[in-house]
Order: sequence, then structure tokens, then C-alpha cells
Amino acid sequence: MRDKQKDKIQLARLNIGWLYPRQMSTYGDRGNILTIWRRAAWRGIKTTVREIGLKEKVDPIRFDIYFFGGGQDQAQRSVSEDLQKYKRDDLRKAARLGAVFLGICGGYQLMGHYYQPFNEPQLPGLGLLDVVTVASNDRMIGNIVIELNSKLDAHLEKSIVGFENHSGKTYLGKKSIPLGNIVVGYGNNGEDRTEGAVQENCFGCYLHGPVLPKNPHFADFLIKKALKRKYRDINIDPLDDTLELSSHNSAIARARETR
Amino acid sequence: MDARLISAVASSSVLRTVLKLSGRGATAAPGLLAEYIDPNSLRKLGNYFDRSILVTGTNGKTTTSRILGTILKEASISYVHNRAGSNLLRGLIGTLVENLSIFRVEKKIPLLEVDEPTLLAATDSLDPQVIVFNNLFRDQLDRYGEVDKIRKIWHKSLLQIPPTTTLVLNSDDHSVAHLASETKASVVYFGMEDTSLSIGKLPHASDFTSCINCGSQLRFETVYLSHLGKYKCSTCGLKRPQPDIYAKKVNLDEEKGFTADIATPKGSFEAKVALPGLFSVYNTLAAISAALVLGINLATIKRGLQRTQAAFGRSEKLEFEGKRIYIALIKNPSGFNEILRVLALIKKDKYVLLAINDLIADGRDVSWLWDVDIESLTDDPKVKRIWSTGLRAYDMALRLKYASGELAPEISTDIEASFEEALIQTPKGGTLYILPTYTAMLALKSILAKKNFSENFWED
Repeated sequence: MRDKQKDKIQLARLNIGWLYPRQMSTYGDRGNILTIWRRAAWRGIKTTVREIGLKEKVDPIRFDIYFFGGGQDQAQRSVSEDLQKYKRDDLRKAARLGAVFLGICGGYQLMGHYYQPFNEPQLPGLGLLDVVTVASNDRMIGNIVIELNSKLDAHLEKSIVGFENHSGKTYLGKKSIPLGNIVVGYGNNGEDRTEGAVQENCFGCYLHGPVLPKNPHFADFLIKKALKRKYRDINIDPLDDTLELSSHNSAIARARETR
Repeated sequence: MDARLISAVASSSVLRTVLKLSGRGATAAPGLLAEYIDPNSLRKLGNYFDRSILVTGTNGKTTTSRILGTILKEASISYVHNRAGSNLLRGLIGTLVENLSIFRVEKKIPLLEVDEPTLLAATDSLDPQVIVFNNLFRDQLDRYGEVDKIRKIWHKSLLQIPPTTTLVLNSDDHSVAHLASETKASVVYFGMEDTSLSIGKLPHASDFTSCINCGSQLRFETVYLSHLGKYKCSTCGLKRPQPDIYAKKVNLDEEKGFTADIATPKGSFEAKVALPGLFSVYNTLAAISAALVLGINLATIKRGLQRTQAAFGRSEKLEFEGKRIYIALIKNPSGFNEILRVLALIKKDKYVLLAINDLIADGRDVSWLWDVDIESLTDDPKVKRIWSTGLRAYDMALRLKYASGELAPEISTDIEASFEEALIQTPKGGTLYILPTYTAMLALKSILAKKNFSENFWED
């Protein structure tokens, strides 16, 4: 039985689609891709990463995980236009087929219905998450700690730590649930103590840091989700996360000291 | 001098004396006091000095000012410089207060390094003869939000600048070169003309890769570092301006320095500078360009370059009990990448101490460590040991773990303990390479002072 499981892992493949690495990648968020890739590789899972740029179409069955990072305001506009023109329907189809999406900051905002800037037309998003984002004058910047929503997985380690840096305020509709509740920091809008959003296999949040290296339980949670839709009863071995957890704990301690 | 300014200067000077007596560096706090008493103090103080030289940009402000200062000294031009790294408004005011002499016949030139967003306040109050723009990279995004905001502030600060001011612009940095598009000021460009130094493609940490004019993706024929290179826009026809002052045949000599052929409108010469890395070539070109605008001749410039030494912690080399210590400040992905490039040139065994803090002056967000191409360090078989220290020692160590390579760093958040250990473990004749963020560098400065290093403690 164990060997069978091992064979399965050896055969497993994980295909990552990295949306707009050139435009949406200013806050170290590529660390998330690196983390998925390494943690899969350490378990013998073959991983491919493909960059998806402006004007490229997406094959909706090709990727198991999509990563969508944050960028500057100006990039946000051209990316929103590109999404509507080249990718929206195929990405929505990919999500319906169960692909995992992780969006951070600007990418999170564009996974929602729209981003509303000051005195400018709305930037339409993908509508994968039932959220809307509105520009504000508040700068929500600093270390952030959240407690993961227990609806996601009751056995998962609860705390997630990162760094937020946004002025957009995100509000959740009924179809999405928050990724977690704020322990330290501002979160979605600085008002309702929620942070991030989840809908099916789509995850969005404001946590830079980057979020996955310092929160290995969350990284593995996403990897498992992506594998399970393809290989059903597959399991992944635990890794030696001593350094990851030290980093996690020391970042939480810094967050408490600095807020 | 009006009453308000007199009061501002007097109280500020008293505070400065008190701080000096208590053994502390004293520019920013007295400046802040003067600014508080008289908000117009920078403008008024400027009248007691010659027209200023401002140096701004993400990386290289301190070193460029230092090179230019050495050239000015060589040309016997008297100047004042905000050396304590006080480059915010209060630091500029503090520097002028400190050097104020209302009876002097000959006015000194303020040579001021200016924090990027402070440029607007500086150009508002002072009438600069030269403004040097080095480059613009992602840096401390927790403070500024995003890098494009800085470009817009710069742009705004140049709208009212008269033609009697000369802008010294890096032609290889699109965000900087484009500043010439809407200003009445005169413009001089500097850049690199040596394709052998091209790294081929844009690294991950590149910021201005789309055309500011039309938004299309720029095409890069040559990439020197980050988004610096030879670019053009195939949609609107924009292209990199031809530099007036440029470097050819650049030879980077490990951490020792570089030689290059420098071409200028006044003729060419071979420069030999004891500052390492490609970024030092850019800083040198910027300083030469500013010196030429001031009318300094090439022979004097060349002598100044030969005498230039590294500023504290900026690629500085020290000796200690038969061991060498090399300190290079790291602040952002582009700067860190370029320091790693210098390290990669070195063929000797390397012992490396990375010191990462997350205080306000460092940038509270350490996410940027993941934008650094740290693999060149972990892949280097000549790197024998790595220590990771500072408030964010674990973040740095984690970045190394997810890079390639097997070398695990030794981790301690205590900078002094980590430094002592690294120094002990570095063999005699070997070199310890220390890469600290800003406040970690200050911490090292006092640790080294205890060991009687750095006699010119407050000079820099």
C-alpha cells in the first residue's frame, strides 16, 4: 500500500501557471512559486512553471495552480484590460474545473469582480471571488497575523503571518468566505477584521512576506488541493519544517512587537 | 537674517552642541528643530551658500556625492556635504545650519544627497545648479507605496526648474532619462557603452520595463543591471538617449575596483577607481558628468577619481588581525544583486555574513529578499560559510534554503555575537564579506568602533 502511494507521488505532476510575472511581481511574491516548486520537488513531485504574459491565451486544462501576484497601479490597469480581452473565460473555466488559484494583493483584487480607483473607470476582474475593492486614502501597511478560517480545514495550524501594503479596501459578498480573521494588522478593509477570501479552490489575500515560505502548512494545504483534484487519494509526506516554523514564529513575534 | 531664522539657527546650534557633547552624531535632530521654528529655513539658509548640487536616486547617492566631493576638493572648490546620511529635509537644513557663516565672502557649494521623495522640497527651496539622478528601483515599498510614485514626484519637482539648472541623467535607466521630456532645465546624459557587461536578459528585479510614454513593453538590446540598459519602444519610437559621458572597455577587478575608458565632450581618459562593481562605474560617470557641468577640467577629475575611497559600509575594506573585512550595504533587490555580482567575480574563498534588520530605516517589509537572485551565492563553491543575523535572520535563512545549493547558514539574531563568530571562523588571510541592511550597518559600525576601527566615525 505504501509503495503504491510512493509510485503515485513519483508519477505526480504539478503544473503552475504564473500570471503576469513581469507586471505583477514587485513585492517578493515569486517566493510563493519557489515554495510550491521546492516543496513539491522535495517530495519527488515533478513541477513545471510557465509564465503567462500579456496577450497570451490560457489553456484551461493545462495548469493545476495559478499564481497571481501584486503590482503597481499602472500595471493593474493594463492587466485588467488584458484579462478581459484574452484570458477571462478560460481562467473562469479553469476555476470551474477545480484548478487552485492564489492571488496576492493586486492579483487578489483582480480575482474579484472589480477594483474601483479614484475618479477613474472601474477595473473589471475575473469574478472568481465574490469580492469588490475600492480605492481609499488609508495606507494599510505593516506586519499582519491572521487566524485561518476553521471552515477550511479544522486540523490545520491556525496562524498565518505576512506583510500587508495596500490602500484598496476589499469587501466580501455572500459567496466567498474570509481566509481568516485579523489577529494583528488591518486586513481586507481595516473595518470588519477579516482578511482574504476563499471560494471553491480560489484563494486571495493581502499577505506578502511572501506568504507561503513562512507558512508551510498553508503551502502544503494548497499543494494537496491541487494534487487531489487530479489524483484523488494521494497523500504527501511531511517535510522537516524546523526553519520554516522558526521563521513563522519569529515573524509573528516581530508583528506583535511592531504593531 | 530675519528674527525667525536667527532663532531657528541659534536653537538648532545649541541642540547640536549638546548632542555632540553627549557623543552622538548631530545633524538631523537640530535640522528638525530649525525646520519646526522656521518652515522656510532651507530657502533662507540657501541664500548664504552658492547654488547647490543635489544628488538623488535609489542607489549610489552617498558614493556619487563622495566621488564628486573628492573631485571638488581636488579642484579647490569649497563645499559642504550632508555626510551623516541625513538626506531628509531636516538633514539638509541641519547641514546648512552647521556650516553657516554669514561673514564669509566666498560662498560654499552645498553638495547634498537628497532622499528621493524629499527632492520636491529641496528644489522648491534651493536653486540647484546641478541635479544628479542616478537610478530608480523598487526600494522600501512600505514607505513609498510604489516606485512609480517616486518618478511622479521627481517629475513634478522638475516642472519649475529653469534652464540655468542642469540635470545629470542616467540614459540607461528609462525612468530617469524620461525626466528630460517635460523640463526647461538643461540636460546631460551619462551611460554605459560596453556590451561585454550585458547580462543578456532582464533580471526578475527590473522595474521600468514598459514605455512611460505609451505603455508598450520596451525592447532591450543590452541589459547592464536591473532595467538599466539599451532599450527602445517599437510602438512609439522612444529610445535610450545617446549618453554625452560614457564608459567603454570596463574592467571590473573583483572587490578592488575598476578601470574604464571614459569618453566626454571634452575628451577621453582612462579612469582607475578603487570602488568595485558595475554600480560604481555608474556612480563615477554621474560624478564626472556633474564635475564637467561645474567646468572642472579632466586632469583634475582624473586626480579626484584616483583619490576616492569608499564611504563607510559602501564596499568598504578593513583589515583586522590579518583578516580582511568587506562591508557592502544592501537596501533593495537591485543593490543586493549587484553586490552578489561583485562577490561572484571573486575567486578566493568567501565567508559571508548577511545582516538583515526590519526597522523603519531598513524598510519594515523584508519580502524583497525574495526578489534577490541569491542563487549566485548559494551556487558558488567558493562560498565556505554563511551566517545570517539581524532581526530578520530567519527570513534570510529561509530565502537561502529555498534557493539552490546545500550550504545552510548559521543563524543568530544577535548581530554582535554573529559577527564575532564569523570573524573567528574566517581564517587568517581570508576575507569576511558582510552584507548589512542600513540599521544593521549602523550596529556594525559601533561594534567595529569598540574594536577601534573606523576612526572617522562621524565623518561619514
